[in-house]
Amino acid sequence: MRLVSIPQTLLLTAGLALSGLSPAIAQTAQPDFTGVWTNYRAAGGAGGFGGPRAQPQLTQEAQAKSDRYRQVTAGTNYTPGGYCVGGGMPSSMLGSGGYPMEIIQRPEQITIVYEAHSEIRRIYFGERVPDPESVFPERNGRSVGRWEGDTLIVETDRLVEQVDTQYPHSDQAKIVERYRMTTESDGRKVLTASLTMTDPTFLKEPFTVEKKWQAVPNGRVMTYECTEPEWLELLDRLISGTAEDAASE
Amino acid sequence: MNKSSFVWAAILLIGTTGGAQAHHSAAQFDFQNTVNVTGVVKVAQFANPHGKFVLSVTDEKRGTRDIEFEAHSRNNMYRQGLRPEMMKVGDTITIRIAPMRNGEDGGYVTAVLTADGTAIGNITSAD
Repeated sequence: MRLVSIPQTLLLTAGLALSGLSPAIAQTAQPDFTGVWTNYRAAGGAGGFGGPRAQPQLTQEAQAKSDRYRQVTAGTNYTPGGYCVGGGMPSSMLGSGGYPMEIIQRPEQITIVYEAHSEIRRIYFGERVPDPESVFPERNGRSVGRWEGDTLIVETDRLVEQVDTQYPHSDQAKIVERYRMTTESDGRKVLTASLTMTDPTFLKEPFTVEKKWQAVPNGRVMTYECTEPEWLELLDRLISGTAEDAASE
Repeated sequence: MNKSSFVWAAILLIGTTGGAQAHHSAAQFDFQNTVNVTGVVKVAQFANPHGKFVLSVTDEKRGTRDIEFEAHSRNNMYRQGLRPEMMKVGDTITIRIAPMRNGEDGGYVTAVLTADGTAIGNITSAD
């Protein structure tokens, strides 16, 4: 597992040669999160969340919208997942691990593939960062990354209003994640993230939660096709000539 | 409950909280009173977000009929060791299910005992 990219290493080594510091210190500055991760399990069985999962404190307007959503969907299959729609931030990040996620790290971009619903987040760095106005608002928004030592900071905006989530938010919400990798005494790599969401219209106060994952050595995520059965049924009817209404579907 | 069945049930229940894996409510299934059901495979659909098994089941109370059961996602069933070739149409298998709370036919599959006796999840016999 590489620790830093070659250009970064050269730059750091050159700079440290001038400063007289050891290159060994610098090479641990930016860890590589590349790999597959699943929910953290402590020896005693504690899960990916450190304690009782925090819940956002909603404003009156947001609570009414959330209540209405729950009222009309309780006990039904009317959920984003049931319609093959991803959870969006922060659900995509906080829900990952039950199904694994894969992180692919490059200096200019970190790509996170959440297996569930095949959701993908792209975190841009430096010159890869798009202007906010050039990004179409969507459920996972626009994510911009930077490093503070060994900690990855990700700031996300350009979200859309969502009430179909455990973490309701408006399109004004902003999310800051802080990721740090450590190693357990048994050798397991552990990724810990602290997430804070602020929202001037939906939240009474910033919502903060911590989530942990553990590395899956040589792990792989699977494809998550969701509408394949419906397509195959239609294809059968088309081929057999029994899909009289296919043109209208 | 062994690891496999725990994972199957737990992920569904995580989904009910409204997170990223929220497929639907599990309220209609009684996970506290699981039972075994033996039948002949009519359909074994491995799909996301949920699989579907249809078994031809016979009992004294309701005779012979086809019953549709909900199964976990293709991805999670595969990770627990279940393969499509282990559930061929015509095979007689036993499944452990969380039955419907309203007493109707159906339920949520938590474990499978295949025709050749392979156990996936917390099931040791057809009884």
